Amino acid sequence: MRHVVSRRQLLGALGGALGWILSRPLAHAAKEAVQKVLASSKAPKRYDPSAHKWLMCIDVERCIGCGLCVDACKTENHVPEAASYFRTWIERYIIKKPAPGGTDVRGEVLVDSPNGGRKGFPPSLVPREEILRSFFVPKLCNLCAHSPCSQACPVGATFDSPDGAVLVDPTYCIGCGFCIQACPYGCRFMSPVTKTAEKCSLCYHRITRGLKPACVEVCPGQARIFGDVKNPVENDPIQEFIRQNRVFTLKPHLGTEPRVLYANIDKEVR
Amino acid sequence: MPPQIFRLVILTAGVVGSYGIARMLMVPPTFGEHGSYRGAALEELAAAKPVFSGIKACDECHSEVLEELVKFEHKTISCESCHGPSRKHAADPDVTTPKGKFADSDCLRCHQSSPSRPVWLKQVDPNEHYRGDKRCSACHLPHQPNEKP
Repeated sequence: MRHVVSRRQLLGALGGALGWILSRPLAHAAKEAVQKVLASSKAPKRYDPSAHKWLMCIDVERCIGCGLCVDACKTENHVPEAASYFRTWIERYIIKKPAPGGTDVRGEVLVDSPNGGRKGFPPSLVPREEILRSFFVPKLCNLCAHSPCSQACPVGATFDSPDGAVLVDPTYCIGCGFCIQACPYGCRFMSPVTKTAEKCSLCYHRITRGLKPACVEVCPGQARIFGDVKNPVENDPIQEFIRQNRVFTLKPHLGTEPRVLYANIDKEVR
Repeated sequence: MPPQIFRLVILTAGVVGSYGIARMLMVPPTFGEHGSYRGAALEELAAAKPVFSGIKACDECHSEVLEELVKFEHKTISCESCHGPSRKHAADPDVTTPKGKFADSDCLRCHQSSPSRPVWLKQVDPNEHYRGDKRCSACHLPHQPNEKP
């Protein structure tokens, strides 16, 4: 038997479908408005992002490679446990002695970061006699003033906040991974939990409450100095650090203008 | 006006109008507040709860410990570096107690000798440094590392 759809039924169905399509964005807008109210009631009050400009300084000479920062970052930001997901990590550089008879001053460069340095570093396989120089370098988001990741994001989910933090909006991220490829410092990863890009947020939930980022809080050697350049305090640690040290940025030739400044780095550090 | 032009004007107005309505409804309310992104994302990210309470919270109750600590070599170390995240303890001291017992491995995490460590740091090779099977705490106080117990 042939099924006959009457004109009334068809128009009714079409009208219903149209109504459903139109109601979706309305419901979405309503949800957004409700979410905004809910979120703002939980968030710290009286934080104005345009009144701050955060900056991080790292003194490589003060890093002892204990990995407390890596562990604290994972705990504080609920970073996935697996050994390939880090918002901050420590690299161990080993510069070998040059081959005898050659003209080089410095030999082969080896870099490793077992589990990001989270549990400290096991003894290196390179014997002590062969090592010319070795040191640890903490790495994190470089807080680029001209961030390649924000430029690569097709949906505006990654952005440069007015206070200098480069953040990811997890509700807007579509998980395309362009930003992960764009970051020249390898500071981003795709979260296996949320399927969105994740990175160091400078512990945004902490700095907006007047706390230090977790890595800065736990660093026993004060290798990480954190401060607000717009609101210098008395004997400002950032100004003091820049006064006493010759500071550099990583990969300056890329023009990203990082606001993570490194002191006492060797030319091998990238 | 010729009727075909009139129809085109109606059609164009319809298309542009529906685009405008769709854009108005679908763009999040705070988009463009600071830049071309959702301004509410800043508040949402800031709403997460801290896990580490920060040394100021420790100082509220344990100021006498901190006053002693700053006289000795471990003055640069925050409480939570060794005792672990303590926000829950700071919010309600009866609920949880931060880590209080330490093994030698906790000391050696920083003080194990390594060619990669900077020379200003005191480092030991436990095999050479130990006399017998003594633990670190037999000779060193964690809060006053220069003093003998």
